[in-house]
Amino acid sequence: MIEIEALTKMYGSAQVRAVDEVSLHIPAGSVFGFLGPNGAGKTTTIKMLAGLLTPTSGQVRLGGFDVVRQRSAAMAQFGAVLEGSRNVYWSLSAWQNLMYFGRLKGLRKAQVSERAEDLLSGLGLWERRDDKVGGFSRGMQQKVAIATALIADPPIVLLDEPTLGLDVEATRVVKDWIAELARELGTTILLTSHQLDVVQELCDRVAVIRRGRLVADLPTRELLAGFRERDKYEIRIEGAAPAGFDAVTREGVTTMSVRVNDPREVYDVVERLRAHGVVLESLTQVQPDLEDVFLALVNEASHA
Amino acid sequence: MTFARGFAAEVGKGLLDLVAGWRESLIQMITFPLFYLLIVLFMGRGQLRADLLLPVLLGMVALTFIHEQVNRVFWSYLGDIQSGVLEQTYLTPLPSAASILGRQVAAVISALPTALAVLATGATAITVQGGRMPFDAQVIVPLAAIVLGTCGLALILCGLTLVFRRIEIVTQLSVAVYAIAGGTLVPLAAMPDPVAALSRLLVPIAPGIEAMRDILLGGHSLATLPTGWGLGWLLIQPLLITAAGVLLFNRLEHLAKRRGTLGRP
Repeated sequence: MIEIEALTKMYGSAQVRAVDEVSLHIPAGSVFGFLGPNGAGKTTTIKMLAGLLTPTSGQVRLGGFDVVRQRSAAMAQFGAVLEGSRNVYWSLSAWQNLMYFGRLKGLRKAQVSERAEDLLSGLGLWERRDDKVGGFSRGMQQKVAIATALIADPPIVLLDEPTLGLDVEATRVVKDWIAELARELGTTILLTSHQLDVVQELCDRVAVIRRGRLVADLPTRELLAGFRERDKYEIRIEGAAPAGFDAVTREGVTTMSVRVNDPREVYDVVERLRAHGVVLESLTQVQPDLEDVFLALVNEASHA
Repeated sequence: MTFARGFAAEVGKGLLDLVAGWRESLIQMITFPLFYLLIVLFMGRGQLRADLLLPVLLGMVALTFIHEQVNRVFWSYLGDIQSGVLEQTYLTPLPSAASILGRQVAAVISALPTALAVLATGATAITVQGGRMPFDAQVIVPLAAIVLGTCGLALILCGLTLVFRRIEIVTQLSVAVYAIAGGTLVPLAAMPDPVAALSRLLVPIAPGIEAMRDILLGGHSLATLPTGWGLGWLLIQPLLITAAGVLLFNRLEHLAKRRGTLGRP
């Protein structure tokens, strides 16, 4: 469980508020998406959560332990892949990295060996365990970073852009791991990513930060539902659209956007199309994805 | 017990780095002894004079050690900050002291091959010149003082690099100052009194070098060191520098966490 209460960070003599009274409650075993555009305060929040940056005010508790006052107990609950940093030593092999970070977390050599073997095998790196990480591809390096975060089997894991630079197959492996960690081991996962499809697929709940303040904190379904355009439909037909319809034609298929005041009006639209002899291919209510919602929230907040 | 594991992990990593960088170490093991021989040659106007070989050797061994130890631990910190790995090493339940202590010990061990290469070269040169390399077990005390004081200095420089950029200039400058004013090549007794006093006060290797010369060249005992400020200062100075290093590192680490400079590009 992660609890963040009124977390604030101010920088410099001008006292610029990078993070402003952010509060979050992330229950155990959930996958939580934390989103924000560049410079929104996301990284600052994450660093305070990891105990790498001291908050100006407010509190972060990991598994019930205060990150500042009970650092040791809090860090025993925690593993992280930090974005934009190397996370592991390139001069060491994958195995040496896991042994080093495992022992740095206070584990015995035998414990680390066993866990490292599981992790490297699971991530498909066992055969390359003795190769230097510096010689790995970006995706393989990211896998070693993920294994490092999980070496002590922490109940709370922060994954900052974990799929950045991974190919489709590796992304799938990591996504499956994240889902499995939360579902089967009850690990609490805080996930940040600019790949919003990944967040949408994995996260139970999503928060969006903009200019240091939270602009949304809702279960993913509710967040998407809140932005569903109930009055907007997309109709695909064969051939050209009749006059009076807003349509785009690509490769012989025409897509029409239709707005109605009442869902029952859709029948009238279909009736009009049938009268013109149009062959219907599909009719769907427009569903926003997380990217639409994110952009709407961020733009809304910036216009406010 | 967990502290010991973290400490051992850090020492182990430092030794792996030493093995991985064996080519660089080998180059240092050749250049520093050469540097020593050249200095003695220049000082002896083209001759390896027996009366210069030992005094310069004692200073050069200490200088090589401080150069290697401070640079190794400093660059490991700076490299980790710039690459971002340092932040990952802070995500541990262990106090950062386990990691810092481990890095210091690893740097001490890593500095030894080059310092020993200088010592071996000097001992060989002295033997070739028909002299004898003296040994007195009492010399362990000034050697230990040099190691401790050097670690204290490294702690101060590493603390500074957690917060401030471009500290590498200070590191290079400080080692250069020690070479000139630390009594390594020219004895402090031959320097102006204020310079000698400042060196004895601030340079981690200065009291140790003076004591080694008194013991090995003058045949004096630790209790009756004739130059410098005596045994008391020989023991207190490295302790004070190390205490200052621990306090300063601790303060600067807190400041780095407030400013967010633990990891920066």
